Amino acid sequence: MPAQESLFWVAAVTGVIWVGVFVYLVKLDRRIRRIEEGE
Amino acid sequence: MTERKDWWKWLLGLWILAVVWAAFFYAPTARGFKGESARIVFFHVPQAWVAVLAFCVNLVASLRYLRRHDALDDARAAAAARLGLVFCILATVTGSLFAHVMWNSFWNWDPREISIAILLLVYAAYFALREAIADEERRASLSAAYAVLAFVTMPFLVFVVPRIYFSLHPDTIINTKGSMDMESRMFQVLMASLMGFTGLFVWLYTLDVRAARIALARRRRQED
Amino acid sequence: MRASSLLSEGLAVLRKEITSELRSRVALNAIVLFAVTTLVTVAYQIGPYRIHEDDRPHLLSALLWIILFFAAMSGLSRVFVKEEDARTGKTLRLAARPGAVLLGKLLFNLMLTLALETVVVPLYCGLMGLAVRSPGGLALLLLGGGVALSASATIVAAIIARASGSGTLFTILSVPLILPLLVILIQGTGAAVTADGLSPVLPALRAIVSLAGVTLVASFYLFPVVWND
Repeated sequence: MPAQESLFWVAAVTGVIWVGVFVYLVKLDRRIRRIEEGE
Repeated sequence: MTERKDWWKWLLGLWILAVVWAAFFYAPTARGFKGESARIVFFHVPQAWVAVLAFCVNLVASLRYLRRHDALDDARAAAAARLGLVFCILATVTGSLFAHVMWNSFWNWDPREISIAILLLVYAAYFALREAIADEERRASLSAAYAVLAFVTMPFLVFVVPRIYFSLHPDTIINTKGSMDMESRMFQVLMASLMGFTGLFVWLYTLDVRAARIALARRRRQED
Repeated sequence: MRASSLLSEGLAVLRKEITSELRSRVALNAIVLFAVTTLVTVAYQIGPYRIHEDDRPHLLSALLWIILFFAAMSGLSRVFVKEEDARTGKTLRLAARPGAVLLGKLLFNLMLTLALETVVVPLYCGLMGLAVRSPGGLALLLLGGGVALSASATIVAAIIARASGSGTLFTILSVPLILPLLVILIQGTGAAVTADGLSPVLPALRAIVSLAGVTLVASFYLFPVVWND
């Protein structure tokens, strides 16, 4: 695999991991906010 | 997450995405390293930085607990230690991968590898201590005491031991001569990544503390 | 006035420790037996000739400190656990101020460590054929290392006495605190073996003295919390 292409895939995987973490955190944040408002 | 003050979290999401792009395509290939391996520095250094930052936050929360005996300070200390442990593991793994690419060995007892391994041991010992104590107040004050003790011995490991030994580790951002020799675009990306990871730490930490505050409030209501 | 009374109170605690130790000899037996067993094993299996001449200073000093460290670990934790076991902690809390208790226990552990070193180090040098070129430097390292080692061990012993499963926990909590010390001590001992005079030992000695000082200050600051929680 050419270097440039493999670099692209590494970047893509890193980006996808971050998006996954980010979405999880946004959901967690919403859940905590709901509980905080309910208390 | 609908409140207006949460805009920075969305900004952080985009910021880190931009950092990921910049780390691979904006920063030039570093000279003197095998292939593109040096790009891992944009993730490895911020992770190590957050591990150390969490250690400091843990110290501040522990000292505050020792002074005021507020259960929330104990929760703060524990939250910081949890995050510190996670980022410490991440920094160890990324560092080890880089070592494998550069020197063909995942682990070669470099002084910096020793210091991060001991930081890991400190975090592990901290949680082993917390697990072993059932009484909450006692757990809080003893783990706070241990955290302070661990903190005062760490500088010897980070600053004294690497000076006695020869190290393969690339210079830290500011090297021993006090100057920076890093290509300016690489430096920009590294700084951006440091800011992004610090923001991520703040977010994770406040989430953990908010959850702990809810749990504490619930327990108090049950006790009443 | 206050400092001197704290000192005399601490010495009273130390006297009590020595009396009770002479009665049961638990810590002393553990330390001496552990040290002798490992020493004999190492000397028998490695001896003076198994290690190549160039590797001797470093490897032999590492082995020496491993023996000393684990022997010390096997006995030093007793100092607070025994109060919890015998339920004498409450009486001691009433009888003496926290600072005096820590001082007494610390001096007791220091005595144990130094006794261990005076027995093990000459035996080790004899059995392994280790010629030390700077005996004065080694003596200073052993003294400073003993102080730092017993200071860390004593405060950790105080912490784990209040937690369950103390035995294993003691080693888990001590290792990260003492590892930097051990690394410096091994380096220093290697220097004391290979070079004459005090100057090669000085960098290690300086690091050890400051490490011991920092640990002592933190211990006296933290101990009241640990002791009275």
